[in-house]
Amino acid sequence: MDYRPKIIIIDDEEVVLDSCTQILEGSDYIVRTAEDGTLGLKLVQELQPDLVCIDLKMPGITGIEVLEKITESNPTIVSIVITGYATVTSAVEAMKKGAYDFLPKPFTPDEFRLITKRGLERRRLMLETIALRKEKELLRENFAAIVSHELKSPLGAIQQNLFALSAELSGVLNENQQSRFERMKSRIEDLIKLINSWLRVMSIDIAKINENFSPILLPTVISKSIEIIEPQAIRKDIQIITSIDESMDPIEGEEVSFEEALVNIIGNGIKYSYPGGKISIKAKQVDEHILITISDTGVGIPKEELPYVLVDFFRGKSGMEIEDSHGLGLTISRRIIEAHKGTISVESKQGEGTTFYISVPALKKKG
Amino acid sequence: MDQQKKLLIIDDDPDFVEGIKSILDAANYSVDVAYNPKTGLQALQSKIYDLLLLDIMMGRGAEGIMIARKLRKDAKLREMPVLIITGIREQMAFLFPGEPVHPRFVAVDELVEKPVEPTLLLEKVSTLIKTAEARKTKAE
Repeated sequence: MDYRPKIIIIDDEEVVLDSCTQILEGSDYIVRTAEDGTLGLKLVQELQPDLVCIDLKMPGITGIEVLEKITESNPTIVSIVITGYATVTSAVEAMKKGAYDFLPKPFTPDEFRLITKRGLERRRLMLETIALRKEKELLRENFAAIVSHELKSPLGAIQQNLFALSAELSGVLNENQQSRFERMKSRIEDLIKLINSWLRVMSIDIAKINENFSPILLPTVISKSIEIIEPQAIRKDIQIITSIDESMDPIEGEEVSFEEALVNIIGNGIKYSYPGGKISIKAKQVDEHILITISDTGVGIPKEELPYVLVDFFRGKSGMEIEDSHGLGLTISRRIIEAHKGTISVESKQGEGTTFYISVPALKKKG
Repeated sequence: MDQQKKLLIIDDDPDFVEGIKSILDAANYSVDVAYNPKTGLQALQSKIYDLLLLDIMMGRGAEGIMIARKLRKDAKLREMPVLIITGIREQMAFLFPGEPVHPRFVAVDELVEKPVEPTLLLEKVSTLIKTAEARKTKAE
């Protein structure tokens, strides 16, 4: 295989073709030339070059048209426009049609060499990005299988034996040994939970939950979520105050995942609250939307971190020491709410607390 | 006095099997083990078991499913309760696209995730055996 970069120069002036070819001689490129747009496009199809230099003003097909056709057939080919009538308008137009850069005539050999080098670098980066994206997709698809088998199975086997030993060793271990044994179990359990939440983010297409959608009542979902999270709140002496309009319309959704979304957000509030704090959960219908607000009186999120808390793989670094946070919960919540055609936003003041706003469309009443 | 119940575990992870087996042994079950689907099937055909504990993700993928399908086709084995043990619940969903997460392989089955807490395990095992026996008595 020949990995030398392939360059095509399309210009109706022979002297330009010759001088450009000469300038690039000595560099490790394959250079081809064409005297008009038609020949140039044919050559592009044949050679699938890395970079094309196009003169804008040519008899027959114009440079702009050539540029358009190249971008259309393969957007990863980098095009550089050369022109004798350098105007801002023509430059802007060329850029709009997909040109990477613009070189006014006359140009020096160094200018040409430099722009070629930069263009090829651009091409390399584009191909690399595409390859990385594919790799990421592949990794995502295989992640569930790899992680569950290679990581979870051994952990599961260890935990299963700890479970068994725990009963078998009762009465044998002294108090201190017993408590270390329990710590081992809980550490492994944390690890398994962590892997599960990673799996959830990486491998599950949350958008697909809408295949199981049916009318659900949010007041029920909210009270179930509170039931799940309440032990955590009690442990930290945090009061959950609710104000829920029970008469609201149902929404189209999936109960279990919506519950998960709420549990993550409320749990987040508890995690970032000081003992003795309050979490308030309100839900009401405003026209065709159900609005849920979840506020805490916790540490708050610094301004500069606020735009990122709902984005994939972010975990706040300021504030307080947090146990058992994987920075994924809110991301999962956002994805679930978006799958319900809803929106979520967040407001926060450091030292005062954080409020999450969720809005989901209510199911229209029939008739 | 109840006769000792016979259980079979089919799972390819010997360490995991040890952990499960010792819990069941301690609860006075008689437990056989097969570490791959093939010997598992042989065991099922040569001996009568009161319950099967079946791992789904074995070998190069979901080889446990193959056993489940065979059970479903066999008039006699179909009546044996099965406790399906799986590494991850979500995977079940894409093994059976369009089906609910818990696939009904046989008349009486349940699904638990690895690792299983001893109390949960013992409770599931005894409930499944009782349910299957009740079905049998009713049919007779």
